[in-house]
Amino acid sequence: MNQTRREMLEKCVALGAVTLATSASLSAIARAWDTAEAKRQPTPFCELGPFYKRDAPHVSVLRAPGDPGMPLSVAGIVYSVNGEILPNAKLEIWQTDNFGHYDNAGYRFRTTIQPDPKSNYGFESVLPGHYPARVCQHVHYLVTAPGHKPLTTQLYFASDPVFDGDPDKNFSRDPLITSRELVRPVMLKGDPQQMVAAVTFDIVLEKA
Amino acid sequence: MPTKPMLSSSILLLLVVSLAQPAASSGMKPAATVPLPCESQNQLISPAGDQVAVSCSDHTLRLVDAGSGNTKHTFGPQPRITAYDYSRDGRWFAVGLRDGTVEVASTSGAAEDKRWKSDTHGIHDLKFLPDSSGIVVGPLDRPGQIWDLRGTPKQLAILHSDFAGLIHCSFSPDGKLLVTADGDTVIRFYDAATWKILHEYRGLALETFAVAFTTDGKRVLIGGPDDRITVLDPATGAELEKLPKEADVVWRILPFGNDGQARIFYFDGDGKRPDHESIWNVNTAKSVPLSAERPFTGSGIVGGKLWLSSANGKVLDIWVYE
Repeated sequence: MNQTRREMLEKCVALGAVTLATSASLSAIARAWDTAEAKRQPTPFCELGPFYKRDAPHVSVLRAPGDPGMPLSVAGIVYSVNGEILPNAKLEIWQTDNFGHYDNAGYRFRTTIQPDPKSNYGFESVLPGHYPARVCQHVHYLVTAPGHKPLTTQLYFASDPVFDGDPDKNFSRDPLITSRELVRPVMLKGDPQQMVAAVTFDIVLEKA
Repeated sequence: MPTKPMLSSSILLLLVVSLAQPAASSGMKPAATVPLPCESQNQLISPAGDQVAVSCSDHTLRLVDAGSGNTKHTFGPQPRITAYDYSRDGRWFAVGLRDGTVEVASTSGAAEDKRWKSDTHGIHDLKFLPDSSGIVVGPLDRPGQIWDLRGTPKQLAILHSDFAGLIHCSFSPDGKLLVTADGDTVIRFYDAATWKILHEYRGLALETFAVAFTTDGKRVLIGGPDDRITVLDPATGAELEKLPKEADVVWRILPFGNDGQARIFYFDGDGKRPDHESIWNVNTAKSVPLSAERPFTGSGIVGGKLWLSSANGKVLDIWVYE
């Protein structure tokens, strides 16, 4: 069955399943319903720094052959809070290597990504390392799109040993984590010789 | 006019020099030993040298009389203090809190505190306007704000940033220019009367963590994760030179004296080596390490001179760098 929201409403009203206590037209009610369902919560803020570096190259594979560390595959879609896709967004992403080191002299583990026409983005990397000044493994994001507020945030991993397997309870062990939502589930894929930690991280931007 | 009392109290403090421990390297003259109300990892010596802002291990911040060790004002402990600074004349002290609140107090207790919520983000940087009539507030990853402190605090202007916000800022010695280091990697020069941008420097790909005018106001020094000091011309915003590279990230610059000196603070970006410091001479582009038997835990510029402190339990030793 592939009926529109309006058709569904017509049927429900005719059968008495829905009562309208408004003078608005069925089309307007259907549009309002669609809009309400499409609304998304903006991705929580997390601080920018340190070590943002502009003009990172447009690459989707950040890891090089032989780089130590668990291979990481991140994918997601960039939306507005109204649920529209934002293929004109720009994602600037940076992280440490497996040893917790940022490349400030060059651009290792740094990228600028333009989503595809369906607003999908993705990159291949390794799980970042821990370093003394920060509690958790993390990947930095700066996301901009015309007509929307710039977003700085960070992606965290539910597999991080800091969470002891229970990020719901332990995510605040890193005082910089502003929301549990930023700690993403990790799916291990592939055979043991080519295991990859796969993570989905959708981005939702607020209107400017 | 605060200059006279500032200098005279500095001299007084030097006269009451006690048996400060000779822990510092040569070129250090003991100035005072101050009993502390708490154990402390960070201190800021007031511009008159008569008071020390002591960051206590219990997360309070206390203004301590440098002569008697008496606490004159206590801030905190909650919400956590994330930034603090003295006004140039030493009459005012401001703290920024993690919840975006700013509190301004009279260091003598002669006026009521002012306290207001400037943002929802924690305060990352604070700098009084040179005449103490207002303050620059830098909330984390938000554009800087200018607040008028005459009467009830009132927001006068919001500074610019392409994204993120103010990391650090400095006023020129004559008070006419404000230079900001912003998270979008841009250095901006503002007219401090109109808050209009006069120049921008976009020559760095990385963020700048520290920015400061030289004491003669003729140059601006900036530094960050490129591990070096870059010198800018405040008249044009253009780059004048880059000083030789060091091993670690620059995170604070404290110019002093009359011949191009600046204390530079470094940290290891990987967090594996301890913080360290150098004294740079910008005129000669040469540096010497600043070290002592005990690490320095605080400092201040008093009468143009660099004063350094080191806490040992509940005792604070203060030296003058010469």
